[in-house]
Amino acid sequence: MEIGTTRFGTIQISVADRVCFPAGLPGFEDCRDWVLLVERPDAKVGWLQSADWSEIALPVGSPRKFVPDYDIRIEPHDLRPLGLESPKDLQIVAILGQLSGDLTMNLKAPVAINMRRRLGRQVVHVDDWSIHQVVRQWTAQLRKIA
Amino acid sequence: MLVLSRHRDESIIIGDNIVVTIVDVRGDKVRLGIEAPTEIPVHRQEIYEAIKRENQRSAQLNTADVDELQ
Repeated sequence: MEIGTTRFGTIQISVADRVCFPAGLPGFEDCRDWVLLVERPDAKVGWLQSADWSEIALPVGSPRKFVPDYDIRIEPHDLRPLGLESPKDLQIVAILGQLSGDLTMNLKAPVAINMRRRLGRQVVHVDDWSIHQVVRQWTAQLRKIA
Repeated sequence: MLVLSRHRDESIIIGDNIVVTIVDVRGDKVRLGIEAPTEIPVHRQEIYEAIKRENQRSAQLNTADVDELQ
């Protein structure tokens, strides 16, 4: 099937590429079908693209690639809807954001995906991780270039 | 808003499948136990609102904004 996207043009996906978020995501409660787009297998950043709304896409990354001591601690009731049979099927990504020019990552509410059943859900970490963990400071980069 | 008085260990039922129980009351803090079907997300409201705001801000980003992380 084809889906239209604002950022990547029209892309071909198979039904098996879709990830269903039965409850949507906070702020996008009506977006249930998403696709995880990654340019290369080793890419640090991917995009969670809505299959229904071309303009809705969220940049995501593997939190451990940015914050090596990040551990995943989620309440069992929060993960239960994913119906995981094995922890190997669980993929965790965190949504990237921007705050005062810095690139940030939402480590408080990562996205959990059961890759086998293609089911996803944005969950809440039990510990006090930041919603805006800075992963790249904007000014520092600019000065280096100058 | 419907306001109901409840004692510790008493519950209210919402619809036919969501039960909220007063587990403990200490000073100005109330501990609630919530039983709801797994497909109904339950969040602390201020955390839910913060996640929602952050998701909506992230959706404004373009590929050029995150390219430097690659």
